[in-house]
Amino acid sequence: MSTANREAPGTGAAPLGRQVPAAAKLVHFIGHQLQLQVRAVIGWSLALGLYTAAMVAIFPSFSDLENLTAAIPEGMREGLGITDIGTIEGFLSAEAFSIVTPLALAFFPMLSLSAVIAGAEERGTIDVLFSNPLPRWLVVVGSFLAVAISLLAVVVIIGLLMWSTALLVGVDLDFSDAAAAVLNLWPLCMFFGSLALLCSAIFHRRLFGIAIPGVLLLGMYLLDVIGNLSEDLEDARVLSVFHHYGSAIEEGIDGSGFAGITCFAVLFVILAVAAFHRRDIYT
Amino acid sequence: MAAVIETDKLTKTYGKNRGIVDVDLQVDSGEIFGFLGPNGAGKTTTIRTLLGFQRPASGTASVFGLDSRRDSVQIRSRVGNLPGEFTLEDRMTGEAMLRYFARLRGVESLDYARHLAGRLGADLKRPMRRLSRGNKQKVGLVLAMFHRPELLILDEPTGGLDPLVREEFLALIAEVRDEGRTVFFSSHVLGEVERICDRIAVIRGGRLAAVEPTSEIINKSFRHVRIAFARQLKNKEMRKFAALAGVDNFDHDSNSLSFTLYGNYDDVVKLAARHTVVDIDFERPPLEEIFMTYYADPQERGMP
Repeated sequence: MSTANREAPGTGAAPLGRQVPAAAKLVHFIGHQLQLQVRAVIGWSLALGLYTAAMVAIFPSFSDLENLTAAIPEGMREGLGITDIGTIEGFLSAEAFSIVTPLALAFFPMLSLSAVIAGAEERGTIDVLFSNPLPRWLVVVGSFLAVAISLLAVVVIIGLLMWSTALLVGVDLDFSDAAAAVLNLWPLCMFFGSLALLCSAIFHRRLFGIAIPGVLLLGMYLLDVIGNLSEDLEDARVLSVFHHYGSAIEEGIDGSGFAGITCFAVLFVILAVAAFHRRDIYT
Repeated sequence: MAAVIETDKLTKTYGKNRGIVDVDLQVDSGEIFGFLGPNGAGKTTTIRTLLGFQRPASGTASVFGLDSRRDSVQIRSRVGNLPGEFTLEDRMTGEAMLRYFARLRGVESLDYARHLAGRLGADLKRPMRRLSRGNKQKVGLVLAMFHRPELLILDEPTGGLDPLVREEFLALIAEVRDEGRTVFFSSHVLGEVERICDRIAVIRGGRLAAVEPTSEIINKSFRHVRIAFARQLKNKEMRKFAALAGVDNFDHDSNSLSFTLYGNYDDVVKLAARHTVVDIDFERPPLEEIFMTYYADPQERGMP
């Protein structure tokens, strides 16, 4: 400290730096967020990738799959949307892509995006971040885009682990079906993630940013399942995002469902920008 | 001198809770402005409103002539800020944050940042979770100052710093002023404010109690007076001192007396001169004591 050269480098007192365009700031912000999310991406990818890979690996061990399908009660088959688990596509749809993976993976963007505003307020890091010349909209949009990229990386890794396992164990899983299955997770998860971002922008409590979309996630799932079983609730299924999610591994991606869910996710981000712009930043 | 910071009846409330009320401030270019007050007085609320983190309930705040809320991004591009509770992501190192902030501000050379880190002894290589409070604060100071901002806003900047680093920091702040830049320095450590600040604002209960040049606050304040006489004074003569305007806390023994004097030096000197004075002492109170008078009940101090 005292031994350091006291002569400051540079000349005069002119401020250092230059005006940085918003687009460049956005790129730097996203890059930093991605850096912070690396561990989470690895963790979620491995957890769900190994799970789906395990489902693929055990598939050949079932010798009498037609009877297995028949053994599942009809109500349960209808409710869970199980068609034919005698094929690898039907099996993975039932075991991985209808319940476990979407319900679990939705928590990745929910946790990440609730941490951006309300989480940073609770951790006390938000004042340091906003000491920089960052517009509020940039933090909201940049966080959404960073998580969207991270989530894409997670689903790609899950898909690669699943497909490469199929190759290894000799299961005939088409690459395009595997790709459709994992890519179809992206809008569904971002829907709940951007809802978490919106709640975080409104309430400045991270708990609300997780609890509200979490309850809605389970509620929409149950609505879709019960709507499959009950004629009274069948029309209400349209309100559930799971109704539009479908079974991409068997039927391919439903373009309108994919686009519609993505539009809602973007709408939540726009609302989050407006909400965060209006309110005070808390610490 | 042009005003860098200007507030007009700035008020911020949190629901029914008081934040700051009718704060009128003007901080001029090139000065070190001390903002004094105990915890909860409204220092951080004022700073966070100036930076556009929160919206005023009423009144206005401008920095560089720009509206604190509408032009917040432009303001922050010209300001270095050290928040009162400086916290970074635990896994990040100071070096990583410095590079990140440099990209956001378009700073290409980190030579000045390294110079600051060297003088303050800031460890930029270790993750934040492994740094003590004082070492985190050093990183925070580097991050606030590395881009040579026109205005430095420092909220309790010396918290956790050891005495040697504090000295180096105060020297750095003096250099910032010598370069013509402005410093808004919030603190409750009065000694350091007295040493480096050109002007001081005292905030109490969310309201400004005083804004004065540091020297005037000290000179305008009271004195502790002690007078010793060559012979014993009669009680009647002693009471004449006690009856003088501005005399308080009067005490005496057989041939000496002591009291607190608010102005009116002339009458005291003239009355004392009627006797043989062997010793006289007009002691200037420490800033701490002056400061506490701003926190006493206004009626006790004879204020309206």
